[in-house]
Amino acid sequence: MNWKMWSLKKSPWVFHVNTGACNNCDIEIVNLLTPKFDVERFGIKLVGSPRHADALLVTGVGTRQAVIRLREVYRQTPKPCVVFCMGACACGTGIFEGGYHVAGPVDKIIREVDPNAIIAYVPGCPPKPEAMISGVVKALSAI
Amino acid sequence: MSIPLNILFWIVVIPGTVVIGLIASWIVRKVSALVQWRVGPPLLQPLYDIMKLMGKEILVPQEAQQTIFIAAPLVSLAGILLLSIMLWRIAIVQTAFLGDIIVAIYLMTLPSLALILGSSASASPHASIGTAREMKLVMGYELSLVLAFIVVIIKTGGQISLAAIAQQAPVLSISGFLAFLVALLCIQAKLGFVPFDIAEAETELGSGVLMEYSGALLAVWKLAQAVMLVALPLFLVIVFLGGFGAHFLVGLGKYVLALVLIILIKNTNPRVRIDQAMKFFWFYCGITLVIAIILAMIGYYSGIKWL
Amino acid sequence: MNQQELKDKLAEIKDKLTDIQQPLDDRISLLCEAENAYAVNKFLFEEVPLRFVIATGIDAEHCFEILYHFAYDQLGCFVTVKAFIRDRENPAIESIAPFLPGAEWIEREIHDLLGIDFKNHPDMRRLILADDWPEGVYPLRKKMAGEIAKQWPCETSVRPTTESPARRTVKLSKPVLAVGPFHPLQEEMEFFQLSIDGEIVTDIDMRISYNHRGIEGISETLQFDQVPFLVSRVCGICSASHPLAYVQAVEDIAGVTPPERALYVRVIINELERIHSHMLWVGLAGHFIGYDTVFMWAWKYREPVLDLLEEITGNRNNYGNVKVGGCREDIPDETVPKILQEIDKLEKKTEMLTKAVLDDPIIHARLKGIGVLTKEDAIKYAVTGPTARGSGIAIDVRRDDPYAVYADLDWKVITQPEGDVFAKAVVRLLEVLEAVKIIRQAVKKLPKGPVAVEVKEIPPGEGCGHAEAPRGETFHYVRSDGGNRPVRHKIRAPSFVNVPSFRASCIGEHISDVTITLAAVDPCYSCTERLAIVDGRGSILHGYEELHRLSCEKTARLKKEIGPPEWKLEDF
Repeated sequence: MNWKMWSLKKSPWVFHVNTGACNNCDIEIVNLLTPKFDVERFGIKLVGSPRHADALLVTGVGTRQAVIRLREVYRQTPKPCVVFCMGACACGTGIFEGGYHVAGPVDKIIREVDPNAIIAYVPGCPPKPEAMISGVVKALSAI
Repeated sequence: MSIPLNILFWIVVIPGTVVIGLIASWIVRKVSALVQWRVGPPLLQPLYDIMKLMGKEILVPQEAQQTIFIAAPLVSLAGILLLSIMLWRIAIVQTAFLGDIIVAIYLMTLPSLALILGSSASASPHASIGTAREMKLVMGYELSLVLAFIVVIIKTGGQISLAAIAQQAPVLSISGFLAFLVALLCIQAKLGFVPFDIAEAETELGSGVLMEYSGALLAVWKLAQAVMLVALPLFLVIVFLGGFGAHFLVGLGKYVLALVLIILIKNTNPRVRIDQAMKFFWFYCGITLVIAIILAMIGYYSGIKWL
Repeated sequence: MNQQELKDKLAEIKDKLTDIQQPLDDRISLLCEAENAYAVNKFLFEEVPLRFVIATGIDAEHCFEILYHFAYDQLGCFVTVKAFIRDRENPAIESIAPFLPGAEWIEREIHDLLGIDFKNHPDMRRLILADDWPEGVYPLRKKMAGEIAKQWPCETSVRPTTESPARRTVKLSKPVLAVGPFHPLQEEMEFFQLSIDGEIVTDIDMRISYNHRGIEGISETLQFDQVPFLVSRVCGICSASHPLAYVQAVEDIAGVTPPERALYVRVIINELERIHSHMLWVGLAGHFIGYDTVFMWAWKYREPVLDLLEEITGNRNNYGNVKVGGCREDIPDETVPKILQEIDKLEKKTEMLTKAVLDDPIIHARLKGIGVLTKEDAIKYAVTGPTARGSGIAIDVRRDDPYAVYADLDWKVITQPEGDVFAKAVVRLLEVLEAVKIIRQAVKKLPKGPVAVEVKEIPPGEGCGHAEAPRGETFHYVRSDGGNRPVRHKIRAPSFVNVPSFRASCIGEHISDVTITLAAVDPCYSCTERLAIVDGRGSILHGYEELHRLSCEKTARLKKEIGPPEWKLEDF
């Protein structure tokens, strides 16, 4: 495993993207970044620009309006990067499957842009903050 | 200084500065974490950050001025490294040249100018807001900084030489103390720390002047910031606190003291607005420094040391 | 007015109606043709007067129907105007937005989803469908459903356009042109775009589409008992109120009354949700004005409530605890003393915080007189919930049309007359204390018995159900034709009417007050982040971070002028 991935695991900077979520997952992500859970221990930092990000925390089902932006954000994130699908909606549309405004789960959209993207799934509705941390850490150690 | 030690100095100075800079930036983050009752990052975290950034791809915006965009961080790093070499030389080896304080002030402005140039070259509307503010901020504190040094120069009898200034400890006099306070706050602004982190806003989920940078260029910016944490407090030590003197460890203790002061100010204050910062530097600092200059001149010409 | 007087008053407009029906005591339907709908609606809104709730567009096979739902809160009565549009080729009706700004958004939505043209609408632009949605495709029309995603896929590679969508000419001296760097990294084409003159807001434009998941459309494909799981995900933080309103609507149709224990359990869960939602709001409001310790504190004290809900229902946020006929799960007896313990603790802390907020001169200076929503505007925009109660309008579904067991419990409706952000903060804080009182009574009076009755089938009919969510009135309308799926399910979240009122409360405000004014309406969390100020040419002057910073700085400035507060959060 090369040093790029190793150092990415040591210092994953995250950027939050909402592609049409009911906000439960987003609130849990905000919970995650409060000092109570202290993710800075893992080197995780919330950044305000995809250009600085190593991991995208994507919530939401991917509505038609939002996926345009999701693709752009992914392109603007310097590689290597990891996409975390947070929540059941991002992992696979969940109960919104077949809706007329749903453009597909997040991984389908990301793979249209980059077939070799690294995607990790953290299911739950919403996943608890502890589950999210565990998911992120597990995914990073498995890469 | 003997030749082998000299050679050792030249080999060690740049890596050593970088290492001390990374440790200093870790100290800053760790203290902030402890103040918020958190655990904070591990010791090597700043190193991991920079290593990771080196491994990412560099994205240059389409409309950006490519040459300036790429050159700006390099200029910033080069300037601050040069400054730190100069300062270590003065502190440890105690050699200097005439007018080196002017060179030092010039090198100190290079990172700020490079930041302004780099963010202007990014062609980003978000970054441009930060650029405008950084420019205003620089115009605010540069004059105060120079005036503070003039106070010190007066106190040392008009010698424009850092080695000579380093022999004395101007902070032990009233005018020197006032000048030290002002210079400390100017350094705070130059480092981009709270209460003056208007431009970069590290704590906010923010767009900042560095919004368009990624990959190795961002790593160079971060490295330059880390090295600034070495050079600028060192500058304060040399100019105000009496240099390294005879013992290396005493000098190092003074450096740590300066760093602690900077961290304290960072953690106990909220951020201010740009017009408040301008008012602060031009009005309050200006008046303080005028008083300090007058006191220094009186003290020098009448031989009273503690003025 | 009592029932009879109301009916007499409604009879005044009889000549414009084709029929008056009263399926239940408190559900009156006025049927009319499309041409007369404008006059009838105007009469109901201005003469009677009634409160506008929402409009539902339905594609009935041989015609289009638009149902205008009005509420008479004193009797807890719904008066629905059913307008029939017979022309299926070019359906059109007169817009009621000129005298009822609260109906602007819903008419745009009906236009998007059903293709009905609203004449004289002040601003008929696309509201909730994506920018790349093809013209002429109306998802809620019956024959379109199900085929759309296959036939009209999303464009795969769309460069962001230089024109920000949903822009209209702003009445400034500088006209708005479709140029200006549209930065690909912006947090979406902004949700709210504010135009400013100097430092004062002059106009607001809002674009929503990002969260539109087509839930009403999906609901028509699910069976009645599957729908509660869908609707609890309409909004994460009102996730107990939406299913409750829906099952009440269906229970209306089926004529079913759940057992008493189920009603008490519903009350307990909903009030716990109200507590944690208001705590979330308190934290966010503190964050927006720069009191970050309030943010940490409020979210810290929210956690035990979430843990409690997890223990009772199995999840911190999406409870899935209601079904048609009662509740899915019971509250185990062991949990009851825990509930009482936790809310006792929370009550003490909330009382201290309320007192501190009410006495703090900085918060007074920061929030009083800011973002005022006058009572007249509040009525015109048809707002509900703390947004309305903070402007002196005493409406609360729990008292006006009591559902579950609210009629049997002793509690107060909190109102404040001023209409500014401070008033709304006070309303919410005091409501937390009232919720604690309600839970305590409900837990003590919890009767024994089953928690559900069996419901075999849903007969044809229509039902309206509403519940008081933390943000306001959640309204669901369900129409059934005897099958096992809803024919039409209309969902109105409270934020749909509260958020447009932001226009009335924000114009004329300083930009440093923009974030807190929007937060006072309590939209969903991610809505407030999509806020930006544009100049005359459409380029972003201040993003959300900037506005937040300005807000915090104003507080810091006031702190300096007035002096720090006497209380410290560490004392709590």
